[in-house]
Amino acid sequence: MTAAPWAALLIATSIPYRFLQAIFLDELFEVGENAAHYGHLLGGTANLTVASILIAFFGRAVYARVCRLSIARGHAPGREGWRVPGAALASYILTGSAAVLGGFLSTLTLLGPVVAVMFAGLAIGTMELNERVSVIAPFRIILRHSRRLAIPFALVLVFFIAILVVFANLAFTFGLGVWLASAIGGFDAPKWNALFTTDNRRYMLMLLAGALVIIEPFWIAAHVIYVRKAGAQESGDDLRAWFEELRRAS
Amino acid sequence: MSSPARCATHAERPAYARCMACSAMLCQECATQWEGIWHCASCLAKKRGNVVARSPFLAWIGVILFSLTFLYLGARVMVWTSALIASWF
Repeated sequence: MTAAPWAALLIATSIPYRFLQAIFLDELFEVGENAAHYGHLLGGTANLTVASILIAFFGRAVYARVCRLSIARGHAPGREGWRVPGAALASYILTGSAAVLGGFLSTLTLLGPVVAVMFAGLAIGTMELNERVSVIAPFRIILRHSRRLAIPFALVLVFFIAILVVFANLAFTFGLGVWLASAIGGFDAPKWNALFTTDNRRYMLMLLAGALVIIEPFWIAAHVIYVRKAGAQESGDDLRAWFEELRRAS
Repeated sequence: MSSPARCATHAERPAYARCMACSAMLCQECATQWEGIWHCASCLAKKRGNVVARSPFLAWIGVILFSLTFLYLGARVMVWTSALIASWF
């Protein structure tokens, strides 16, 4: 995957957001049914979490641009990857924020968060189709790409399973690491074994945050490709690209 | 057998590509690839014009205000929903 080196930027910008989410959930579990009395504490962490999403949005925008340029050219772009058009970035911040709000508002409906995740995926996929800043246009573009809901829904399903697989693999990797390190003299393996258990809530939350961070580059790349394919089918660009490939080969 | 396609501007030259925007046939001189897609000179100029043209100031203000509102409400709803769910357990 030619955009792979840029995934490091995406991961670096996603880490603060994902780990603040983990801290928020940890605090929520800590206060439990008394959460309503700890609004100040939870509100402070929620504010930080939502503020850190702006950094994550920038990383996602750069990565989505790099994915699109890599697909078009067959190799990773250089500094050009950083030059995300202002209109595209602003549109993505708008639609991404709407996805965050929609996701939280519809948490209790169970189906709502799934729709919000689909919307968030299409928001990053269609980001660069926004050539001018507008409040309405980015939502119209997303709506146009959500006519065939089967593919975005299938992507949500596939990536949900992928998160579970990555979660299990991370847990196994930590276990393996402790087992290997126990061979080194002076390493307190029992202490680490006690920390890396399913009973440790913080460890489980960190594993979940780690799984989300690892999955994110693939999630964004899948949506950029989906939007490009959908656009190509509408314009006949895929056929022209195919002719071009044939001409190069001959 | 049909004759090979010709460039829309230079009829004596064979077509090399087709403009993605207006579907005009183009020779090698007329065809320009921009971000992996073939364009003719006029469509490329139009596209560039769209990109370079500044968005209205009010649109920027609107997008910033809506984004900030969504994020502010997002943080509030995050706490309210979490507290509500936590109170059930």
